[in-house]
Amino acid sequence: MAEKTVLLTQQLLKPIKILKWKVSEGNSMSIGRVILLYDFDGVSKPEQRKLKSQQAGTVHKIIQPEGAIVKPGDGLLELRECIHPTVMKDMCAECGADLRKHDATRTASVPMVHAIPDLKVSEEVAQKLGRADGERLLRDRKLVLLVDLDQTLIHTTNDNIPPNIKDVYHFQLYGANSPWYHTRLRPGTHKFLGNVSPLFELHICTFGARNYAHTITTFLDNDQTYFSNRILSRDECFDPTSKKANLKALFPCGDNMVCIIDDREDVWNHALNLIHVKPYHFFQHTGDINAPPGLDKQENDDKEGVDLSILKSKLNGKNLKEHDKKNGVEKEKVNGMQRADDVNNVEGIESNESVNNEKTNGKDVDSKVTNIISTKEETIKKEDVEIDVQMENTVQNKNNGNEESTKIEDVDKIESDCKVQNNSDVDNINSEENSGCKDNVNSEDNGNELKNKEEELNDKKVENKEEELNDKKVENKDEDLIEIEDPDDYLLHLEDILRRIHIKFYEEYDKMESGDVPDLKQVIPNVRSEILKGTKLAFSGLVPTHIKLEQSKAYQVARSLGALVTQDLNDDSTHLVAVRRGTAKVIAGRRKKNLKIVTPDWLWSCAERWEHVEEAIYPLNSKGSKNRHPPPHCSSPEHVPNYPTHDTPAIRKRTPSGRFMDTINPLMSFSRDDIADMDKEVEDILDDESDESEVEEESSSRMDEANTKKEDETSSSSSSSDESQKIKSHKRTYDDALTQEDNLDTDCPSTKLRKEQLESDLDIDDSNSEASVDAPDGKDNDELDIMGAALEREFLSNSE
Amino acid sequence: MFYHISLEHEILLHPQYFGPQLLEQVKTKLFTEVEGTCTGKYGFVIAVTTIDNIGAGVILPGQGFVVYPVKYKAIVFRPFKGEVLDAVVRQVNKVGIFAEIGPLSCFISHHSIPAEMEYCPSIAPQCYKTKEEDMVISADAEIRLKIVGTRVDATGIFAIGTLMDDYLGLISN
Repeated sequence: MAEKTVLLTQQLLKPIKILKWKVSEGNSMSIGRVILLYDFDGVSKPEQRKLKSQQAGTVHKIIQPEGAIVKPGDGLLELRECIHPTVMKDMCAECGADLRKHDATRTASVPMVHAIPDLKVSEEVAQKLGRADGERLLRDRKLVLLVDLDQTLIHTTNDNIPPNIKDVYHFQLYGANSPWYHTRLRPGTHKFLGNVSPLFELHICTFGARNYAHTITTFLDNDQTYFSNRILSRDECFDPTSKKANLKALFPCGDNMVCIIDDREDVWNHALNLIHVKPYHFFQHTGDINAPPGLDKQENDDKEGVDLSILKSKLNGKNLKEHDKKNGVEKEKVNGMQRADDVNNVEGIESNESVNNEKTNGKDVDSKVTNIISTKEETIKKEDVEIDVQMENTVQNKNNGNEESTKIEDVDKIESDCKVQNNSDVDNINSEENSGCKDNVNSEDNGNELKNKEEELNDKKVENKEEELNDKKVENKDEDLIEIEDPDDYLLHLEDILRRIHIKFYEEYDKMESGDVPDLKQVIPNVRSEILKGTKLAFSGLVPTHIKLEQSKAYQVARSLGALVTQDLNDDSTHLVAVRRGTAKVIAGRRKKNLKIVTPDWLWSCAERWEHVEEAIYPLNSKGSKNRHPPPHCSSPEHVPNYPTHDTPAIRKRTPSGRFMDTINPLMSFSRDDIADMDKEVEDILDDESDESEVEEESSSRMDEANTKKEDETSSSSSSSDESQKIKSHKRTYDDALTQEDNLDTDCPSTKLRKEQLESDLDIDDSNSEASVDAPDGKDNDELDIMGAALEREFLSNSE
Repeated sequence: MFYHISLEHEILLHPQYFGPQLLEQVKTKLFTEVEGTCTGKYGFVIAVTTIDNIGAGVILPGQGFVVYPVKYKAIVFRPFKGEVLDAVVRQVNKVGIFAEIGPLSCFISHHSIPAEMEYCPSIAPQCYKTKEEDMVISADAEIRLKIVGTRVDATGIFAIGTLMDDYLGLISN
């Protein structure tokens, strides 16, 4: 760039003798810096005086040597004018020049300080500061950790929340009449920060407004020991939908040492150094209140939350059917909350709910009964804790209606003991219904866990009983609080993950010695790929037939964890991940001694916790598993690193020969043995009919929801009927507004619809996976239906 | 620099205040409207000392509001380039120091901090300190600085400062 140099002249009245230069060429000089020491020439009393700079810039050339005598007006040095390397509010922070007036070239462009976007430094200075930062981090053996707030460390809601929930902070940001925010810290947050901060330099990186971010930070870190001022908020974000862009400014020397924890990958552009955190969900019906515009992620907003999270986290998995039901119930619950004193309404809800169950659930009668039981049980809870415990056990011991009658008797007996059926209890009934019906569904799997948990809860309830009695309304919420006392222990896992990453990074760094710095973008995927190293997985019923094994999510998740995946069960396979019993692979696998047969939940939970989870927790039982798809927070296909050292990925072998003919019609080339094998497989499956039919039924009910064209069918749950109604109306507008067809298509991406599409996508996959070789149970029809529907849609849009 | 100067301000009063307390209302309104504000020309209005004159109110036609021209004296704070001031450090970061002189915010770039003072981010709180640790500038420290430039906006003033001069830096008690 064109640099102007100015000559600095001696401006004193008398000639001076230069005693010593205090600057050298290339030095930067700011106003007031001592240039040289001098003495007036020919003065009897020698005295050192300082000559100070009146101008800022860099020393270009020193003209006079030391010891020279300079007359007034003679040049001393050439000064390159200030290039304004640091700019604050368009004002050079070195020389004070107003860069708005002077048409100066602006070199400063990098806002390096998190919370002060006005303060910018030049690329050069940024590099220098960045390097200094990097060196310091290495010296302290630290790494940088960017921490997201919403749904990672905290959960905030705008909803109306009773003011006396424990561990929830309430605050207003914009004066007395502004909305209230309620923030709950993830359990163990303070401990987590305390343990992680010696290893990492913590930065906050959030899409919340600056005010919000700083307020939350005071909750997290009151004395600024963890985050100091390193808070990047929405106000400072370059790009409203991505946090990625700011990385370059904050870390001008690259993000080698930057590790990110966030509950969403998209805002980081699926960066490799991101640890995708399981979203923290405390308040129901609230997602991330600071989600970037247009990127709301709502998948769990209505499903996860306060009174459901216990079982959720315990189970580590979601059952779509449950979700349907939960959805329905919860929608009702909201209504119920709003009009709590309307008893009729509540009755309606109850009947509604049981209808739902009847339709959704194969074991309809049973579940209905249990629901009622649990409802009543929960009501009773408030009155008598002891009876409560007893009931708890009764419900748990129950197995698919064997003891139905006795149980009902029990309920009746206890019900007659207490009379708590007043209006204010309606809330409780409703909210408890949820957990009640979930209890039922999962009681078989988790009977013991549940029991323990709930006994704990009961203990706590005894403590809180007085409060509860004082204020019924509050009590409801208090119970919620207690219920989710410690369901979320993800931060413990996260801390462990971060520790491992830190150790690994510095192991590699020590190995390098040359001063090179390893890149966390490689270290993190490597750490991840150590988790299941040495295991050899085979999938059964997990990957749909039409999807190549290598392209399936399950495969990618497993690979990113370092496991080898083979298409078929080999002799050295260590794990068989099966969706249900009765597939050929499972049967074959049972004969193998060293093979562990687990549900996909095992894999998902390994991916979530980044550790080799005990297989015994996820045995394949008669119910099988419904989680063919990894939960969103552990499906990170982009995390798949290159595995130069590993074997070539398993090739999907359909036919033993590699002949071309096989690709056209595999049946033609099947040997007799092959066909016999296939027959056997079919027989095996038929033997397991009972299991099969259950799964099938469930999946078809999901299909209803998923298949947007099947809205005429009566759907099985209230939520799916809701949704299909929505689709119906959508379609109607489709037909009516012929000309606006295109607009509709593009202009109506309401979040609801988007979400729906997402679900339907998932479910289509699901249904297809039913049709995988292991389960040729006639799902083709559904597949055809979908295709037909797609064709119809295309046809419609063309004709319009 | 502080000045005690005469200023004028127009108070717009709602008719609901018309009554025996009217002038009192005008005065209180003046205090709330004027104190703490900032104008580019006079700087920050720190405090109104005396109200010299409340002129005749003019009722705005069609509205009923009344406008009073008020003459008052106030203490104002107007920072100037070259001025030396005492400030309280608000934030320390790798690029420099942010300090406050009452209502005035000021930034001191790293380059304008004597080279012997090093930035130490690893100790909490972050600070600039000399090797001998006889001078540690961290948040809430009191420093003396010289203003090298001011940015005067309609709503506020921002200053750039330096510590590169004699007797600048940490004020030791």
